[in-house]
Amino acid sequence: MRIVVAEDVMLTREGIVRLLRDAGFEVVGQAEDLDGLMRSVVLDRPEAVVVDIRMPPTHTDEGLVAAQQIRTQHPDVGVLVLSQHVEPSYAMRLIQDHPERVGYLLKERVFDAAILVDALRRIADGECVIDPTIVSRLLGRQRREDPLSALTKREREVLALVAEGLSNQAVASRLFITERTVEAHTKQIFEKLGLDVDPTSNRRILAVLAFLRSPVP
Amino acid sequence: MGPRVSFTKPVGVPGALLVVSAVTLGIVTLLVVPRSNLGFTTHAGASPAAALADFAAGLGLVGAGLAAWLLRPGSGSGLLMVSLAGLAWFAADWVGWEGGPPIARSVAMAVAPFYLAFVVHLVMASPGGRLRSRRQRLAAGAVYAAAAIVSVGRALIRDPFLDPYCWSNCRDNVFLVSAQPGIARALDLMWILVSLIVGLLVAALAIRYLIYATPTARRTMSPILVPAVLLGLAIAAHALALLRQPLESPQDAVFSAIFQVGAWAAAALAVGVGLVVVRSWRARVTLARLASDLGEAPTPGSLGPVLARATGDPSLIVVYPLPVSGRHVDASGTTVDLPTAGVGRAVTPIVRNDTEVALVVHDAAAVDSEQLRMQIGAAARLAVENERLQAEVLAQLNDLRASRARVVQVGDAERRRLERNLHDGAQQHVLALSYDLRLARVGAESAGSPELTALLTSAEAEAQTAIDDLRELAHGIYPAVLTEAGIGPALWTLADSAPLPVELGGLPDDRFPEAVERTAFVVASEAIDAASHLGSTHVEVRMIRDDDRLVLEVKGAGPGPFVHLADRVGALEGQFTAEAGLIRAEIPCA
Repeated sequence: MRIVVAEDVMLTREGIVRLLRDAGFEVVGQAEDLDGLMRSVVLDRPEAVVVDIRMPPTHTDEGLVAAQQIRTQHPDVGVLVLSQHVEPSYAMRLIQDHPERVGYLLKERVFDAAILVDALRRIADGECVIDPTIVSRLLGRQRREDPLSALTKREREVLALVAEGLSNQAVASRLFITERTVEAHTKQIFEKLGLDVDPTSNRRILAVLAFLRSPVP
Repeated sequence: MGPRVSFTKPVGVPGALLVVSAVTLGIVTLLVVPRSNLGFTTHAGASPAAALADFAAGLGLVGAGLAAWLLRPGSGSGLLMVSLAGLAWFAADWVGWEGGPPIARSVAMAVAPFYLAFVVHLVMASPGGRLRSRRQRLAAGAVYAAAAIVSVGRALIRDPFLDPYCWSNCRDNVFLVSAQPGIARALDLMWILVSLIVGLLVAALAIRYLIYATPTARRTMSPILVPAVLLGLAIAAHALALLRQPLESPQDAVFSAIFQVGAWAAAALAVGVGLVVVRSWRARVTLARLASDLGEAPTPGSLGPVLARATGDPSLIVVYPLPVSGRHVDASGTTVDLPTAGVGRAVTPIVRNDTEVALVVHDAAAVDSEQLRMQIGAAARLAVENERLQAEVLAQLNDLRASRARVVQVGDAERRRLERNLHDGAQQHVLALSYDLRLARVGAESAGSPELTALLTSAEAEAQTAIDDLRELAHGIYPAVLTEAGIGPALWTLADSAPLPVELGGLPDDRFPEAVERTAFVVASEAIDAASHLGSTHVEVRMIRDDDRLVLEVKGAGPGPFVHLADRVGALEGQFTAEAGLIRAEIPCA
């Protein structure tokens, strides 16, 4: 798979590039800032980009801005945003407009080749990838009346994987159950939580994340 | 009513005598002189129009001068010149008194030249009544000297009978010692030249002043200076006419016209002087009344505006010197720069016990410094003192506020810098370390070294813990989301990881100034922590924008003490209250 890497800290960038090459990806371009990344996307025609959220010029949210632009202008190109921040707002902002072919992972996650490869494959397949730390932070949120207590243990596992962006098929293989069972679980979960979204659509992840964040159910 | 303030100085016997004699002289001139000739020896006798102009000028000048002198205590003898100018003006009529006593005509002849000197003195000394610069005194002195030379010279050596150009008096000179027609003629010519030059100079200087003065000064001075221009031109025109035609005649159309223009200009000058005097007298009365009012019930901050109204100078302000820093502040404690000299602004110090307690900054021409100093120094003492003390306290308060806000801002900026440094430095290095450890562990595994593998696995876990700790640390120092996305998203993140249920409500999407967002965040964060230590079941955080303030309420926390939070909110001039169960912060955000 053709990949462009954008990261302003050289040490980290080189680490990521080496890792991707070792894992069998083809790194076709490298960039240090937002402009360089956008040029590279046009010139090097990648299938996905791996981008640091914080880059010059402002060192704030360039990665999210890049993702927004790339998803709008080059819908075929996937975007994996790497971040130091356990920040659900950023993850939700990323999937807000285009809930497919995007991912938000904590930086240290990518040094696990298996996770990196899995994330890029899923993005290439059109799925979303949300870091498990963020999902567990949302699931672990303190609530006065916890609506999640209505769920069974298995349903909570399914919900967490759905929130991480996994497809039903991926959830099934992760939990060693059939896809039909996963479908039944998601239908049940969405009913129990009162989520008015088609549990098979790709917008379900956004609905789940928003639900997990809502003030009082 | 406050203490009675006297606006006039006692007139006394000499003053009364002067008034009576001046008015009598005017009336006698009016009744006697014009009827005594057929209109050949005085302009006033030539036509009713000329007579009217003559008396308007003479009586106007006498009256205005006396009024000024009586209404303006301590403003110098300059205004008396106006009256003397009026008397000298009438001298021309007495010279032409055909059939009158020779002594009267002779004295009048000697007095007449001083009219020019009095006019120059009067115009240059306006509006204050004093010649202000050395150059002015020199110029006035020179004209007086020239007038004296002509006056004495004519008296001693001019025999009117031998003068080919005599017209108003061809008979009488009781002072004559030795008739010298040639020298007398030379004196006449010199006087004509002096009149020409002085007339043009008066007009030019008056025009120059009108052009370059501040608007306030122009408004004040134009009633005097506009007639002065006309009068100067008339004097110069008269001199030119005499050079062309040495024998003056009231019947001549040119001389008659020049005379009437000059007379009406002098009359207008008199009216102008009267206007200025009355205006400044009224200002002084207001000022004095104000001073006594202020003496009774001074409200700090009111002195400047009231003085500005009383003096008619809207640009007037009162400032107070600060003892230590040497700065100047207004009544609200705001620092004020004193005007530099020479831009039409004047600074009048109010001195008490040899110390400057206040400075009045005003238009140099519109307000008389001396007058202001006297009035304020005497009666408005309490007001000045009150206002000065308050200004000092307010200035200190302003300084303190500014320094508090700066301390908070510097602290925040430092925290952001630390967070940025952590992110770009330590966090990246630990990431790299964790990556290297992973590579090493994979290598050890394939090399079949279980001990090394175990060691590296544990090191990897340590590195991950360090990554997590660093992340928490960086977030605690300064949450990046606060800068990047604002207070709303930052509070959501706070709620995500809070140790107890946090309900958020009414979070605005707006962005606010950095210090405001940071302060709101710190308040919410510490209130939630405190609630958690208190064992609350949950907290509710509400935030609303109320016009120019951001209002943050945390229910379920409190009552504190939260000295640190109160300080922080106070540094932004906000309100912080903490009662049992409710913390509320109002932060100005406009």
